[in-house]
Amino acid sequence: MKSVKEHLMFILPLMAILLGVEFVLVFNRVTSNYEEKLRESYTILVVSKSPMSLRRFRRIEPHISSVEAISKERIARQIARGIQNTRTQEILAALPYFYTLHLDRYLSRTAVEKIRKKLLKVPGVKKVETFGENHRAKYNLFLFLKIVFWSFVVLLSLVSFFLILKQMEVWQLAHRERMQIMEVFGAPMLLRSGVLFRMGITDAIFAVALSGGLFALLKYYWAPRSGIEILVDRQALLFEPKDLAILAAIAFTLVISAVMNVTIRSGEVRE
Amino acid sequence: MAANVITASHLTLAYDRGRKRIIENASFSVRKGEFVFITGPSGSGKSTLLKALYGAIRPLEGTLKVGGLDMAKIRKGKLQELRSHLGIIFQDYRLINEWTVEKNVVLPLIIAGYSMEVQQTQAKRLLRHVKLTEQADRYPLELSGGEQQRVGVARALSKNPFLILADEPTGNLDEYSSNVIWDLLENACDQLGSTVVVVTHQLPTMFNIPYRHFIIESKGIYEVR
Repeated sequence: MKSVKEHLMFILPLMAILLGVEFVLVFNRVTSNYEEKLRESYTILVVSKSPMSLRRFRRIEPHISSVEAISKERIARQIARGIQNTRTQEILAALPYFYTLHLDRYLSRTAVEKIRKKLLKVPGVKKVETFGENHRAKYNLFLFLKIVFWSFVVLLSLVSFFLILKQMEVWQLAHRERMQIMEVFGAPMLLRSGVLFRMGITDAIFAVALSGGLFALLKYYWAPRSGIEILVDRQALLFEPKDLAILAAIAFTLVISAVMNVTIRSGEVRE
Repeated sequence: MAANVITASHLTLAYDRGRKRIIENASFSVRKGEFVFITGPSGSGKSTLLKALYGAIRPLEGTLKVGGLDMAKIRKGKLQELRSHLGIIFQDYRLINEWTVEKNVVLPLIIAGYSMEVQQTQAKRLLRHVKLTEQADRYPLELSGGEQQRVGVARALSKNPFLILADEPTGNLDEYSSNVIWDLLENACDQLGSTVVVVTHQLPTMFNIPYRHFIIESKGIYEVR
């Protein structure tokens, strides 16, 4: 019973940290995905008398990530339906150049408006139009949730870390005598702390498995049934295999530093 | 003439960064296979000297050589190696209470990486030697003080150490148990050829092999002839 309690006292705070980290990973993925969708829904249409390149556009506004030239021939064909072929050529020659611009990330309406004004100042540019749904309110709520969530995770991790430190003190007391005896008989550090490493690594494996298991359950069982649109649409983002590697790396790093700390603090046998 | 196992020259031992001097300017040597008693009043520095001999404290001044190694300059790795060739016995036994008697006895063999087979053979031999065969699977706290100290002696002998250091090995024991421990230590010196240094507040009433006697007094170490 005492041993189970000793393990739980390490596994639970470690799990709290790992769950916090996993939540952050998932939240970041979902936010990035959402931002990407918003960004894709934005289009800036530029009408220019002279031809323009991506390089020139980027010199004007670095947030412009790509440029698509709209075929003048297609526009001319549509305008000249039922008109003589020679007239089509004239229309084509008179038509300005049309470009669709894409941005590298989701920007606020004000920022997009600023870009519009900058582009309008470019000699040759006759018209700039922006199209896109206004997701700003939703996006701001998302950002607010992200900040609240981050603060909560940082606080949770801090409290958990202090609990781990406390548990380390218990370990130190429980194993100090044995480690000192082993040191007197010439045992190297790895051998002295072997029991602690075994115990810590077992606990870390449990904590990683439980945290990963919880998120797998969330992804495969709870999310599809939840009816929450953002979760249903982004189910694939809720838990990825690489997360398990990240959680394991964090857990093992914490365990190794905890055990090293206990071993070093048990120190030499001195009066 | 046998080589010196311990050589101390103008040795000063101190605590508190040299502010509290325990032993000052002491010189002595111990040859291979000798049995040495170190006595002195409480707080005279007997245990401090023993600690210096297994490297738990470093000399402040002078030199102290154990097995030819300078204890003032010894590196961690060398100290671990030296300790693995020593047999150390404590007044409070210092057994690992979560381990069985058998496992405690073979601790130095575990540290040295001996196979399980060797460990078991040695454990049987040593427990027979200290008459604790029946207690092999028990835990230290289930044994009497005398029995625990016999486990401590068996542990100290498990790797045939060239030097045995004993800190008040009979300090907590009754007369019968004390005599058993003295017999075991006499035997280690006489039969196995180990050098034995015992720190004690009182010499045993019956002792059957030749020994040297040092006394610590007024921070100095003097041989009683």
